[in-house]
Amino acid sequence: MKTVNLELFNNPDTVNKLSIAIKNESEKLNKPIKIMHICGTHENSIVRYGIRNLLPENITVIAGPGCPVCVTSSKDIDAVINLSLSKNVKILTFGDMLKVPGTEMSFYKAKSLGADIKMVYSVFDAIELARSASKPCIFFACGFETTAAPTASALRDINIPGNFFIYSAHKYTPNGVYALLKSGKINMDGLILPGHASAISGLKVYERFVEDFNIPCVSAGFESVDVLLSVLLILKQINNKKPKIENGYKRVVNYEGNKNAQKALEDVFYLTSAVWRGLGSIDSTGYELRNEYARFDAKKQFDIIYSDNYIEHQKGCRCNEVILGNISPTQCPLYAKLCTPQNPVGPCMVSDEGTCKNWYDGGIE
Amino acid sequence: MNKITLDHGSGGKLTLELIETVFKAKNGLDSAIIEDIAFTTDSHSINPLFFKGGDIGKLSVSGTVNDLLCVGAKPLYLSSAFIIEAGFDMEKLEKIVESMTKEAENANVKIVCGDTKVVENGKCDGVYINTSGIGKIIKPIDGQRVKDKDVVIVSGTVGDHGFAVLNERENLNLSSSLTSDVSNLTHLLIPLIESESDIKFIRDPTRGGLAMCLNELCYNRDFGVEIYEEDIPVREDVRVMSEILGIEPYYSANEGKVIIVASAESADEVLHILKQNELGKNAAIIGKITKDNPKKVVLHTKFDTKRILKMPVADKMPRIC
Repeated sequence: MKTVNLELFNNPDTVNKLSIAIKNESEKLNKPIKIMHICGTHENSIVRYGIRNLLPENITVIAGPGCPVCVTSSKDIDAVINLSLSKNVKILTFGDMLKVPGTEMSFYKAKSLGADIKMVYSVFDAIELARSASKPCIFFACGFETTAAPTASALRDINIPGNFFIYSAHKYTPNGVYALLKSGKINMDGLILPGHASAISGLKVYERFVEDFNIPCVSAGFESVDVLLSVLLILKQINNKKPKIENGYKRVVNYEGNKNAQKALEDVFYLTSAVWRGLGSIDSTGYELRNEYARFDAKKQFDIIYSDNYIEHQKGCRCNEVILGNISPTQCPLYAKLCTPQNPVGPCMVSDEGTCKNWYDGGIE
Repeated sequence: MNKITLDHGSGGKLTLELIETVFKAKNGLDSAIIEDIAFTTDSHSINPLFFKGGDIGKLSVSGTVNDLLCVGAKPLYLSSAFIIEAGFDMEKLEKIVESMTKEAENANVKIVCGDTKVVENGKCDGVYINTSGIGKIIKPIDGQRVKDKDVVIVSGTVGDHGFAVLNERENLNLSSSLTSDVSNLTHLLIPLIESESDIKFIRDPTRGGLAMCLNELCYNRDFGVEIYEEDIPVREDVRVMSEILGIEPYYSANEGKVIIVASAESADEVLHILKQNELGKNAAIIGKITKDNPKKVVLHTKFDTKRILKMPVADKMPRIC
């Protein structure tokens, strides 16, 4: 395996050179621009490295719908919490899902009421736990392509114990962002493509963003140099009036994507409409298990009860606008006052990929 | 109804609130200073009990010894109280006691009294140990004299303990070299306390790590702290693990390090004394006290950007000490 020295991607000299190049390029802009990224980990890097401090005033980088936990609907959370409280089952899920508020409560709260809920680091971790468990174990599977692919591969390729089930809340990013763009709910002058998710899907699936909306699209890694490079490449495309797909993360991403992962996704899941938290139902964005995998499908094997009265955002919470990049966290009246990581009102204050959580942790007031 | 959560024991903001609102006490120094006596107590509930670099026995001695040292005292006597779960292996218990004895000898302290309780199987994981300690003040160090332009020094690499324990407990297998830094700091700190250096504050950044420790330092004070990322020593394996887990080393616990605030004039001497000892070989000046951002810890990145290092609210790594 090739090893990469990540220090190079955080080299202060390189960062400085890129900052200067961005400044020079920004002077050619004829209006202020807005660049959106759609990956929570990018927001994490941007806050952590203080990238916004390095950008000229006429360039704004905003976070779009890139936090999988944040777009997981209360409808799904409520249904699984209800199951956990009414049946003798064990629910397994990722750490950052635990504190996300549903309509009435979070998994964390359900746990304190006696539900059997355990945090896992991966689907494989969940399967191992199920092997030693004496009751049905349901993996509440959320995440974009990056986590959907391992879920698919596990179900297809390894020996799964009979008591292991999946509740899929996995979502497919490109279709979601495309639909939001088309409906006018989000807008931007340039798009930083996700790093991990693009490694799976490849860059080709973003061609229609360029074709249909003339938006420059550049993939980026997560180090300071990666993020700045993507901003610079987008600026150059805007100034040259030649929007295209560009790969700024060649050490991980390519045009075609990971064929094995795509095959696993295709074999195990099909895409159908899914509810995105606060954004409503979006066609062809939800990964559901194919019939061949019905025996693992918690939605088919258990009596899941969905309520029509689920609440995505509590009164005052503006997470849905934050998710779309239409407001910044500090514009929400609850931010850092009533809504904090210890007492999150909305989903964006929970996960390390959530915009509000990143801003809060970075001390932005 | 309000309930205690694991986060109340994180050593972060919620612990601080619990101390202030329920215990109606002030979150003070690592030890109480009573005339020329330092007195402290600490309970240990780490999971796993044995980890690379130490075990709960070593930790329970070094933790209390270090708390005494932090107020400028020479540690003298410890008590040890065990809460043991029925069914616990005798052999393991012997191993724990053996490492307590060894660590106490190394730290020049005597364990002079103790207590043993056994609870039903399933009521505690293996063993919990409380130790209390008494020391004699050489030079009281209480943080009161900390002021603008003082320097902030760390005695070595940060974050080792938290990541080492997490790596083992969660079977992450992310690093085979990762070892806890758990150690008493008697031989590192006594020469410093006995020296003429103008030391104003010492604290061991345990739970909540460097970030918590510095936030406590300027909590409700009229100054803030500025630190420089490139000057903070971090082991390579810790850095890699922190990248993978997305937890910064500044929030990870240490059990054999101290943060020292000294006057600018004394900084070089302090560094010199620390570096005489193996445990202080990576000591470094990482920042300074400032009037510019009162009550806040500002981290300067290597790119000359700034961000606030917040007081951790809850622990990303519970039960590590």
